[in-house]
Amino acid sequence: MHRDTAELVHAAAGGDRSAWDELESRFGPLMWAVARACGLGPADAADVVQGAWLRLLQHLESIKDPAAVGGWLATTVRREALLLLRKDRPRVYSSEVVEDPDPAAAVLETDGRQLLWKSVSALHEPCRTLLQLVAIDLGSRQTAMRLGLPMGSIGPTRARCLERLRTLISAQETAR
Amino acid sequence: MINDEYFLAALRLAAGNDPMPSHVSAAARDVYGLRVPQARTADPVECAAIRTSSGTRDDDGSHLMRFVTTGLTFDVEMTVGDGLIDVAGQVLPYPGEGTLVDVKTPHLTLTTRIAHNGQFAATGLPPGWVSVVCHRPGHAPVQTGWVRIRP
Repeated sequence: MHRDTAELVHAAAGGDRSAWDELESRFGPLMWAVARACGLGPADAADVVQGAWLRLLQHLESIKDPAAVGGWLATTVRREALLLLRKDRPRVYSSEVVEDPDPAAAVLETDGRQLLWKSVSALHEPCRTLLQLVAIDLGSRQTAMRLGLPMGSIGPTRARCLERLRTLISAQETAR
Repeated sequence: MINDEYFLAALRLAAGNDPMPSHVSAAARDVYGLRVPQARTADPVECAAIRTSSGTRDDDGSHLMRFVTTGLTFDVEMTVGDGLIDVAGQVLPYPGEGTLVDVKTPHLTLTTRIAHNGQFAATGLPPGWVSVVCHRPGHAPVQTGWVRIRP
C-alpha cells in the first residue's frame, strides 16, 4: 500500500517504525546528495544526515507541513552542512530548527530531477558536458582537461552554466 | 532563486555516481530507536548570564549551553578531552525526588539519578550528537535539542 509523505510522518509520530524506514528510503539519498553537493566529505556528510534525522524525530509532531518533509530535511542538511564548513564554527553547536523549507529544494523531487537532467541535455557546450562531469564529481583538473579549458575558468564557467540551467528551468516551469 | 547546492545535489542524484552508503541509511533508521514518546523539547537559547558568569571556555574544551522550555531550564556543560566527552549540568528548578536524566548519543545512553540540587553528570561519551532527557515522575519527559560536539 502506497502511503503519502504526510501519512508517513503522522504514522512515524505515532510509533510506526516501518513509516520511519519508508521516510528514510524516500529521502535519505537526496539528503546525502545535498550534503555532498555542499562539499562535505563522506564522514561529515554521514554526520550531518544523521543530525537531520535526529531533528526530524524530535519535531515529527510539530512540523508545519508534513507533506513537505523532504524539503524540510534537505534544508536542514544544507544549513547544517554550511555551518560545519564555516572556519569559525564553535566546538559545540546546534543549528536552528527549520521553520520553512527552502523553496529551491523542490528541484530534488523526482519530477524536478528528471526535468533538470533533460534541461542539462538541452544546454549548449561546454555547459552540457561540464554539468554532466560535475554530476559525477570529476575534479576541476580532470574536467578542465576533458573540456580543454584552463583550470581557473572551471569555477566561473560552472557558475555561468548553472545560471543558464536556472533560466531554462524557470522558463519551462512558466510554460507549464 | 534556486540555491546551487540543491541544483548540484539533483545532478548528482540523477547521475547516480555517489550513492548513499548503506551504513548511513542504517544509522538513519536506528535514529528511530532514540524516540522519546510524548517528550517536550527544550530549545537552546543564547544566554548572556552563563557566558559572563563562567564563560563559554571554548578554549579549554568546555562549552556551556542553556536549553529552555516552559517551567524547566537545563544548563549543560560539555567538555571534550582525549577524544571523549563529559557532560555535566543542572536542571532548574529542582525537578524533585526520583527524577532521572538520560544523556543520549546515537550509540549510547547513560542514565543517572539527579542530585538534590538538580545536578547530573555523565562521562566518557563519544563525540557527535548529544541530547539530555529529564524524566520527572508524573510528568511528560523533557528533552533538549540535539547538539553536535566536535572532538
